[in-house]
Amino acid sequence: MKLFIKFDINTICSLYLKHNLDKQNINFTSLGFGEIEIADNLDADALETLKNNLSPCGFEIVENQKSVLVQKIKDAIIELVFMEDSNNYKSSVFLAEKLNHSYGYLSNVFSEVTYSSIENFIILQKIERAKQLIIINEMSLTEIAFLLNYSSVAHLSTQFKNTTGITPSAFQRIIKKRRENLK
Amino acid sequence: MKWIPNFNSSNSLRVIFVIAVFILLFLSSIAYKHNQDLNESSKLVMHTYEINIQLERLMSAIKDAETGQRGYIITRNGRFLAPYLYSRDKVNASFITLKKLTADNPIQQQNLENLFKLIIQRFVSFENCLKYSDPKTYDKRKLDNHMFGGRILMENIRFQVDKMNDIEKKYLENRQKIYDQEISLSPLFSVSLFLTALTFILLAYRQISRDFERLKVFNKRLLISSGLMAESEIIGKFSTWQWDLDANKIDYSDNQYRILGVAPNSFVPEKETFLDFVHPDDKEAVAVSMQGIIEKKNLPFIYYKIIRRDHEIRHFKSTGKLLTDQQGSKILLGINFDITDEHLLNIELQERNRELEKSNKELASFNHVASHDLQEPLRKIQTFISRVSDADKAVMSESAREYLSKIESSAKRMRVLIDDLLLFSRTNTTKKEFIKSNLNELLENAESDLTEIIHEKKAVITASKLPKLDVIPYQIEQLFINLIGNSLKYSQPDRIPEIIIESEKVLSASYPDLLEQSIKKYHKITFSDNGMGFDPQFKETIFVLFQRLHSKTDYPGTGIGLAICKKIVENHKGYILADSVPGKGSLFTVFLPD
Amino acid sequence: MQKNALYILLADDDEDDRLFFKDAFEEIKIQTNVDFVHDGMQLMDHLNNLDNKLPDILFLDLNMPKKTGKECLIEIKKTERLKNIIIAIYSTSSSEEDIEDTFIQGANIYIKKPSDFNTLKKIINEVVTVNWHYHTSGLNRDNFLLRLK
Repeated sequence: MKLFIKFDINTICSLYLKHNLDKQNINFTSLGFGEIEIADNLDADALETLKNNLSPCGFEIVENQKSVLVQKIKDAIIELVFMEDSNNYKSSVFLAEKLNHSYGYLSNVFSEVTYSSIENFIILQKIERAKQLIIINEMSLTEIAFLLNYSSVAHLSTQFKNTTGITPSAFQRIIKKRRENLK
Repeated sequence: MKWIPNFNSSNSLRVIFVIAVFILLFLSSIAYKHNQDLNESSKLVMHTYEINIQLERLMSAIKDAETGQRGYIITRNGRFLAPYLYSRDKVNASFITLKKLTADNPIQQQNLENLFKLIIQRFVSFENCLKYSDPKTYDKRKLDNHMFGGRILMENIRFQVDKMNDIEKKYLENRQKIYDQEISLSPLFSVSLFLTALTFILLAYRQISRDFERLKVFNKRLLISSGLMAESEIIGKFSTWQWDLDANKIDYSDNQYRILGVAPNSFVPEKETFLDFVHPDDKEAVAVSMQGIIEKKNLPFIYYKIIRRDHEIRHFKSTGKLLTDQQGSKILLGINFDITDEHLLNIELQERNRELEKSNKELASFNHVASHDLQEPLRKIQTFISRVSDADKAVMSESAREYLSKIESSAKRMRVLIDDLLLFSRTNTTKKEFIKSNLNELLENAESDLTEIIHEKKAVITASKLPKLDVIPYQIEQLFINLIGNSLKYSQPDRIPEIIIESEKVLSASYPDLLEQSIKKYHKITFSDNGMGFDPQFKETIFVLFQRLHSKTDYPGTGIGLAICKKIVENHKGYILADSVPGKGSLFTVFLPD
Repeated sequence: MQKNALYILLADDDEDDRLFFKDAFEEIKIQTNVDFVHDGMQLMDHLNNLDNKLPDILFLDLNMPKKTGKECLIEIKKTERLKNIIIAIYSTSSSEEDIEDTFIQGANIYIKKPSDFNTLKKIINEVVTVNWHYHTSGLNRDNFLLRLK
């Protein structure tokens, strides 16, 4: 039997975060996108424990202010890409409004920290989303292109190939065979 | 079976014969009866005649006695009395004979009785006459009386004899009349019966000779066809056998003996004889399938080996059938084929195929390895050249810098050559996995591969709807890349390149000289451009490996691209054509089977 | 060894290639530690030694003596402790068969060895960046396929 499971990373992450914080009896309010506000100040030991508890799943407490901003940018981009009506937004405007900084500033900080551009990251995320949709195999490539705000299938295919080096159909074929191979 | 004539006439022949035999039997019985009758009647005549004679004898004896007596009376000589004395015995003898002859007739017996009485009276009268004529006792009156009485008695006797003769005669006549009646009727009847029988026999003869003629014709045909059969069995290296299950009689065709390696009819085939020839490995299987024919009435081809008496092994293929003939008896028919030659040929062919495949594989892997291994040092050369920094170049002499750049461009050219060669060898060697693909998607992939040059030349590519086909996806993608790339490469410098790709379904019958006719439909995909074109006399050679129409300096290329295209199309059992009007553009046409 | 640096392991029997590789990593902005093994056996020994840290990215040449890259790939993907390592095939071959096959066997990245040093740098930079995004942005590693020419 083969099951395709659709999951929401954000929900998983917040549940995992809540689980760990609750374990240490830390009183907190979630601000979303990996940002939490803790009612009392944590001592160094408690912070270290939290850090260690979170690390197995790749969670990291971001200390640097710029890194925090980059994380926020990333979260915002993910939100944008996963939004049903993302078509209505221009990404630069969306990010500037959402994070209360000029797009130029965000762009600079982002490339400084990640050595890549916001545009590239958006493309990466969109292609990532496209990959998920292709694997679920519920939509045609045309529908996926429309959902992800591409002007045409060709545009999506080209960007897919430029980003991953392979065509959407080859990707679908490879993943399918890889799963069969695992059985 | 058609060729067996249906002799229904044999039944009518039988009827005719039975009738004829009955008629003949009837005729002979009639003849027998006539014979009997004739016999009877001659006996009857003899009988009458005998009675007649005996009566006459009786009569004459009495007359003799009378004459003797008269002579004695007249002469008184005793010698005259002798007949008289004998006549008594004669009369008695005749009388006894007559009594026997008339035993079956009471009337005649009665008459005989009366006659006898009269004769006795007559003899009494003789005695009296003698007595009264004796001179001792002579009495003239009494003698006259007795003489006269004797005379009357004589007349009565004569009357009685005549009466008896008349009765016999009448009886004879009656019998003769009946007999004549019968005899006069029968000849006509017999003749007509005889004629009827003759007619029947003639009819039968006609039928027989007619059947015989037909039989002769069929026999001739049978002879010809069996001759043909025997001949074709020899040429076709097969044989037939039949096994009458009820009579348990097995017949082999002559060639059956021959293909078993023995002279025709050199042994009497029995159930087990054939199995004796079968190779021990196959004996069981053959025995099982022989049994199988009887149960299933049909035998699919079985393949096995036999061993001839001279130990030569031959390969056989056999089939059989159970037939029930008109008389209801079951007959197994079988055909054996000697397929040794085909078998050996097949083995040889397989062997050669394997060799060919092997050498092909070796060649391909040599090609692959050669170009693959050539890549390594070349890549190093190129990478090392790229490591020579601008600062390094600045301290070099002018000529050293030029040599370096020449090395670089030569290495680049070699890279293209090797890449193309690899690509070409790969179109042969990679596994040919056919996947149902949308050709429009493959075209898009090809275009995205060529994005840079398309942008650079501002080329316009228009494609109509292409079909979905079972293809090797990346080969078709490569085909599109090469064809479009070719058009872009040989575009006119003063004209924006336009490439039009169109597709339509065509019937192979429309291109009888080009397309494989066993495949009904093809997809015809055309690539037309407005480039510089080529001299149409090269439209065939253009697809040959390493064939170049332009100098290396004008248009860098390896002469492999279109050869790859041809190879790819051939891998898909398709065809590719090129045509051009120099200065106007080229047209490449690809036919892919539906 | 820098603490937060990316740990890179290259398995390649070609000395020149190892040299180019090392130079290229030194010239990119991201901090990395690069280690080398010379063949497939050595690679597996290195990975199976519990004292050694697992690489963040393993660059794997296909054509290696003793044990080919493909064999190593299959072995790694079968080993529970190793199967999550990001694997980049680093090969001269550009055959579609090799590419698809290694992807199916679980490789994440396929790099055709470039014949130009700057291209090599560019490629390495891209690999590291994309890998970093996958690492930091919750992207699904199962879907991580990248082919670089």
